[in-house]
Amino acid sequence: MNPRSFLPFACAASAFAAAAALAVAAEPAVEAHEMLKSAVDEVLAIAYDGQTATTPLALRVRPALEKYFNFATITRRAIGPGWRQFTPEQQARATTLFTDLVIRTYADRFEVGNRPGITYSKAVIPDATKPMLRELPTTIDYAGKKYSVIYRVEQAGDSWRVYDVIIEGVSMIANWRSQLDPIFQKGGAPAVIASLEKNLAQPVVK
Amino acid sequence: MKQSKLELIVGVFVLAGIAAVAYLALKIGAGTLVGADTYMLKARFTNSGGLNPGSNVIVSGVPVGRVEKVTLNPADYSSVVEFTVRKDVKLPADSIASIKTTGLIGDKFLALAPGGDAQFLAAGALITDTESTVDLESLISRFAFGNVDQKPKPTDSK
Repeated sequence: MNPRSFLPFACAASAFAAAAALAVAAEPAVEAHEMLKSAVDEVLAIAYDGQTATTPLALRVRPALEKYFNFATITRRAIGPGWRQFTPEQQARATTLFTDLVIRTYADRFEVGNRPGITYSKAVIPDATKPMLRELPTTIDYAGKKYSVIYRVEQAGDSWRVYDVIIEGVSMIANWRSQLDPIFQKGGAPAVIASLEKNLAQPVVK
Repeated sequence: MKQSKLELIVGVFVLAGIAAVAYLALKIGAGTLVGADTYMLKARFTNSGGLNPGSNVIVSGVPVGRVEKVTLNPADYSSVVEFTVRKDVKLPADSIASIKTTGLIGDKFLALAPGGDAQFLAAGALITDTESTVDLESLISRFAFGNVDQKPKPTDSK
């Protein structure tokens, strides 16, 4: 075949392949910041409108948080390099325990006060080669102070799910990893699971 | 004859001295020529203040590389740090890069916390899970001198 006559076919084929790839990696139906707004509104509604409920806040917000946060990814990232040496059963157990711990830790520190004001900034694509990741910068105005909070989200089907929260420059995942990795280095997966169980058994200190 | 032999010995000695000085200069300074067994990675920060070319790259407290270049991405005004890591140090794809300080006012360095992902970062990959420099001065001033937006605390009306 003459290379010159082949060229238009090659270009057309490339264009078709690119179009097909774009169709497969289509944008989710919901924009990342819309998901975040829904998540924040839903969690705040539960926190502020259910003040008379007898069930602890951690239990009430859990379904909403599990909908918007990817706790499996969060647990894997928080445990760090040791995760690959966990058995599937240990991974499942650690995910359940760590989810409980994270939700309880932050829910039990919540104090009913003025409703926080949240300003959403434009979503950032941190790496052009990974369009499935976004950073959602926000400013939270609470009790007269402003806090910078960045949500890191990843595409999950036709929506987005949070996998890390950076408060005033400090990553939640990095914070937990710096605590859990040394425990793994000392005693492996059983030590990490035991540590999570021990932490959950203790009463919460506000 | 004796004279030329002596000159030759002195010449060799001087050359050896120059070579030793050059080696030390490379080892202590840039180090790129002697540290060829490395690969390049990048990390994106919202603020990389204090991190400079030559800063250490550390995993678990052990130096494994050095910062080569710090540039500004004009598209979103983020800072992109290029650094080298020893080839034998494979980093999982979900590793976190943080800018830390030696002590309270010491030098900045790049700390890498390896993640749990089964895939590893390839040469040239960009780490986006990062922690920028924590601006201690502004944090201290905010808590020491208050915030311009701070509302007055409710007075005890008991």
